[in-house]
Amino acid sequence: MALERGARRLFAVDERAAAFGLYVGQKATDAVALVPELATADADPAADGTALTVLCDWCRRFSPAVAMDPPDGLFLDITGADHLWGGERPMMDDLVGRLAVNGLFARAAIAGTPGAAWAAAHFGACATIIAPDAEAESLAPLPIHALRLEAATAAQVMRLGLTTVGRLASLPRDQITRRFGPAVVLRLDQALGRAREALTFRHPPNPWFARLVFAEPISTSEDLARVARDIALELSGRLEAEGKGARRFDLVFHRLDGRSQSLAIGLCLPGRDAVAITRLFLPLLERVDPGFGVETVTLAAEDVESIIQRQAAFDGSRTTAVQETVAPFIDRLTNRLGEDAVWRAEAWPSHVPERAVARRPALSPPRGTGWDPGRPRPLRLFRDPQAIEAVAPVPDDPPIFFRWRGRPHRVRRAEGPERLAEEWWRHPFEAADPARARDYYRVEDEDGARFWLFRAGLYGADAHPKWWLHGLFG
Amino acid sequence: MSREARLEIMRRKIAAIEAGGAPARAVLAFGDPRIDGVFPAGGLPLGRWHEAAGEGLEIETAVAAAAFVAALIAPLAARGEIVWVMRRDDLYAPGLSGLGFPAESLIQVMARDEAEAQGVLEDALGCAGVAAAVGEVDEIGLTAGRRLQLACERHGGAGFIIRRRPFGGRSGGGAAGSAAATRWKVASAPSQPAPGEPGLGPPRWRVTLERCRGGRPGAWIMEKSDGADRLRLVADLGDRQLETPQPLRLAG
Repeated sequence: MALERGARRLFAVDERAAAFGLYVGQKATDAVALVPELATADADPAADGTALTVLCDWCRRFSPAVAMDPPDGLFLDITGADHLWGGERPMMDDLVGRLAVNGLFARAAIAGTPGAAWAAAHFGACATIIAPDAEAESLAPLPIHALRLEAATAAQVMRLGLTTVGRLASLPRDQITRRFGPAVVLRLDQALGRAREALTFRHPPNPWFARLVFAEPISTSEDLARVARDIALELSGRLEAEGKGARRFDLVFHRLDGRSQSLAIGLCLPGRDAVAITRLFLPLLERVDPGFGVETVTLAAEDVESIIQRQAAFDGSRTTAVQETVAPFIDRLTNRLGEDAVWRAEAWPSHVPERAVARRPALSPPRGTGWDPGRPRPLRLFRDPQAIEAVAPVPDDPPIFFRWRGRPHRVRRAEGPERLAEEWWRHPFEAADPARARDYYRVEDEDGARFWLFRAGLYGADAHPKWWLHGLFG
Repeated sequence: MSREARLEIMRRKIAAIEAGGAPARAVLAFGDPRIDGVFPAGGLPLGRWHEAAGEGLEIETAVAAAAFVAALIAPLAARGEIVWVMRRDDLYAPGLSGLGFPAESLIQVMARDEAEAQGVLEDALGCAGVAAAVGEVDEIGLTAGRRLQLACERHGGAGFIIRRRPFGGRSGGGAAGSAAATRWKVASAPSQPAPGEPGLGPPRWRVTLERCRGGRPGAWIMEKSDGADRLRLVADLGDRQLETPQPLRLAG
């Protein structure tokens, strides 16, 4: 039930309630008056959405390309997948049967276009399969709502007596457009295959996909490890046959209870070595909860690209060899620690110290020009400058004494200032303030410890700039 | 067999035992006989791991030790990759670059805890293309140290442990037993600019070699001049390391 237009109304009815003549949108009081023993529950659209997402993931066992059609539909692109079940009919029966076993009533249809399949599933006979090029006659007897029109448009079309798709399709196109707007013609064309429709697949379709189904569900960790190797061997064989390698591998365990758990690994160089891929998956297998057992395993390769058989150059032999020995190590690290935990530094053209370093993936070629050796920079840079108490002659001298973390430091030598202003072009112009400039000093205390201090702002009539410690030199 | 020949064989055996059973490997020479002379093989042995620590509160930032290690191993970058494992993300590449270290080719790794940092170090050193791995960790236990040693021996990579305590954390205890080939104590030393020049001179460190397997301890003041590819010996503190900072003034 949901609150709608000021009254509690039925949001959805099941088969038996429909048999009593209850319908969606009926007032709850009316419904209870008709059927006193009616069991009701509050509608929860968020939970419905989550359930649809779970169902969408579950459907990946049938096809890698599954699109959601909220609130209650799913599109599966089964192009090239139906032969695994021995045809379209067995595949649809399997899908509907499995859903029924889990207590879900589903209507399914197979057609050459998403629009025709939608119409047949919602308004056609049960489990329709529309042959290619037969969309027009199959849809003709269906009501106009089968075209996925907006409610207002559909009502307008109905008012003119165009109750079925066939009647609407028999009108000249320009008249339909003039009366009802372009959306009606577009929907008609999409259903009949005259216009293409882009579905947003939850997982992009991927030809690099392998699948293993088990007669008996598996659950022990040894079995999981073994199937991970088996499926990697299968996919890597196909990759090798075509001279390809992939940078990402997605291993999904489909459990008996319909949930699926996916593991992903990434490689910094495209690869297809089944042993190496399995080795990267093995530590992740602990995270898999097999529940009552796993019945299907799928492995998808993404970012597939051609592997060029590299040959060590005479002069560049070291780089190739190093890349080949270091790449597996980088892969192990990125998969264990995360992608942002391994990097190389790269110069970034900015004078602001925090922004002067960019990170690049560990195996990408260097392209930076390095940092200006004329500007000494500390070895350790604090992410947040630390406040210090400093004694410095006004207006522009380095401090002669400062206290950091409770310890006094008497400055023996100093260098500076190096004035760094903010990057005013990154903010609205009015927000720029010259008082935010920093004067950096490099100072050395009596023990030889070297610090990078700055004074934020300038001494003014009533301004007392603060001192900060931003980094330490070795 | 003559007595001399037999003695020579025994000497070699003892040297091999002292070297930890591994055959003699390449060394990283300082290029100054006063430093290289204390090592059994005439330089810092590669295929081993070494430990460097700061003093006092410095162990929380470990900046002098890190700078010294970076300046020391810069020549190793030509032999392979260098990996730097840390737990706090405050290593600043332009600063490394200023010490003559090729910061843009350094692989930096952020570990979440001690065990992970040690695991990454081991993994890095077991990899043929890695010439050196530096880890900023609190403490290396005996077992972990032995594992690290085995990883170093596999491909002759050099390991460097920079002792660093997390900010505000408790110390993991002293450096009691350790499998390190050498143990260094590094502190900053006052710099000396060229005569007549204002400002700061090139960085200097007061370096104490506290422990050296098969060699002698020592203490020096070293400097990394701009443009030089090696550390320069400024003063040999020799056995006077336990005295008051008298030699420092001589050096400065």
